Amino acid sequence: MSELARILLVEDDPRDVELTMTALGEYNLANEVVIARDGEKALDYLYCRGEFSARSNDNPAVMLLDLKLPKVDGLQVLQQIRSDERLKLVPVVVLTSSREEKDMVRSYKLGVNAYVVKPVDFHEFVNAIKELGVFWAVINEPPPGSVKKAP
Amino acid sequence: MTIHLAEGPTPVRRNPARWNLDLQKGRLPIRYGFSVVCVAVALGAALTSQYYGFRGVELAAFDLAIVVITWYARAGPSALAVVLSSACFNYFFTEPLYTFEVSREDLPYFFLFAGSATIIAWFVAVRRRIENDLRDARDHLQLEVEQRKRREDEILKLNNELVKRARELETSNNELESFAYSVSHDLRAPLRHVVGYSELLQKQASTLLDEKSRRFIHTILESAKRMGNLIDDLLAFSRIGRAETKNAVVSLDQLVKEVVAEIGRDARGRDIVWKIHPLPVCYGDRSMLRLVIFNLLSNAVKFTRVRTQAEIEISCVDQENEVEVSVRDNGAGFDMQYVDKLFGVFQRLHLPEEFEGTGIGLATVRRIIHRHGGEVRAQGGVDQGATLYFSLPKAQDAAERTANTL
Repeated sequence: MSELARILLVEDDPRDVELTMTALGEYNLANEVVIARDGEKALDYLYCRGEFSARSNDNPAVMLLDLKLPKVDGLQVLQQIRSDERLKLVPVVVLTSSREEKDMVRSYKLGVNAYVVKPVDFHEFVNAIKELGVFWAVINEPPPGSVKKAP
Repeated sequence: MTIHLAEGPTPVRRNPARWNLDLQKGRLPIRYGFSVVCVAVALGAALTSQYYGFRGVELAAFDLAIVVITWYARAGPSALAVVLSSACFNYFFTEPLYTFEVSREDLPYFFLFAGSATIIAWFVAVRRRIENDLRDARDHLQLEVEQRKRREDEILKLNNELVKRARELETSNNELESFAYSVSHDLRAPLRHVVGYSELLQKQASTLLDEKSRRFIHTILESAKRMGNLIDDLLAFSRIGRAETKNAVVSLDQLVKEVVAEIGRDARGRDIVWKIHPLPVCYGDRSMLRLVIFNLLSNAVKFTRVRTQAEIEISCVDQENEVEVSVRDNGAGFDMQYVDKLFGVFQRLHLPEEFEGTGIGLATVRRIIHRHGGEVRAQGGVDQGATLYFSLPKAQDAAERTANTL
């Protein structure tokens, strides 16, 4: 897995990771993804520490963030990066199973860029992931300091 | 004389007023004996002072005795005291001495004594009575204060219990909420995986699989989707119970119009005759009431699918404090025997291949209407259509009724 990529996927469930990667693979975006399996790893990546201490410190073009994570949960990660001057511009898309209004409101209050409920239906799921990947990693112009598109 | 306001049992016992109360309650011989003893003491004192050359003390001594007797032993003994002290006065202190005869010149003097003694006794008795009344009033007040205090204690106790109960309820509500939350979050994920991997399998191996295997996969997918719908419906249903209602004046006319337009779009190609009578204005949560109307009307549309021409009639009966809205259709109807099950969660009266649905619609209707302080009922027959009724409090008294039920 490349240590420098446009999409940071924060997801603890290996099956969800596989399904997401399958969906992204259909648009050849799979090698643009770095996977963090919990909130702590995600923060390690963003802060270039721990196992990611060697990477260049460009920010990802988008972070796909699950809310329910081991150790540091998604909302805490969100809060942390929104309060950090260097990271606060990173586009964050919450990608969660929770349709709870409470989660939605808190995420938006913390300044999330989009909130996506993972559809149960696989086609819808694949479409949602593909559209997210294409939009945020290809169409959208990320803020300065983000990983550049591969030439 | 002062009235001692007792603050507890011990000071009361030491109180002289209480002591004389005991005497007053005493038996007759004690009180009359007390009278005789007092007069005797007064006589003794008068004689002693006379012996030592003090004159004119006797009147004061007897008056004092009468006062004391009237004070402590009430009317009867005090009359006896007046008589006795008059006699003693006559016998020992008026000329001729040591006889009960009264000389002519001493007669007014004697009457004066008897009269003054009577007046004193009368005054003391009146005062006594007033004092008794006051004491009674005080006792009464004290009793009332005690009762009030007891009641206050009771209220306080009940209040504490209520606070405790409220806290327990809050805890269980929170638990329920976190339960619903984890259902929402954790139950959906494996389901998504079942669907996802089945789809992948279907895609990967569709050419290798025979017809039967493909049907199996299809069934797995259908079931998983159905379970997804069930979970979503259940979560929506539990959310209705937890959500705060935002009450406002709602025009049912307007709601029905909106919902009919929405359902009409989905039911294009069907022949549906809508009969909509004028409906009143209600007080409630608009989006919840909209869900009620939506569920009832979409049910009506769904169950009239068996008819070439569907008839759906929405009308309302104006009652004293509430309005009852009814939705009547000429659809498949139901057996009145199972009317109790109609509003239950996940209760269905038809086979899934006849009519789709999870069986949460009418349960949601009932829950919302109950939260608004209303009632639901249904009437129908197999193949004779169904009529569903819901009542809502009228706009003017709705505010307090919902406040009571929420």
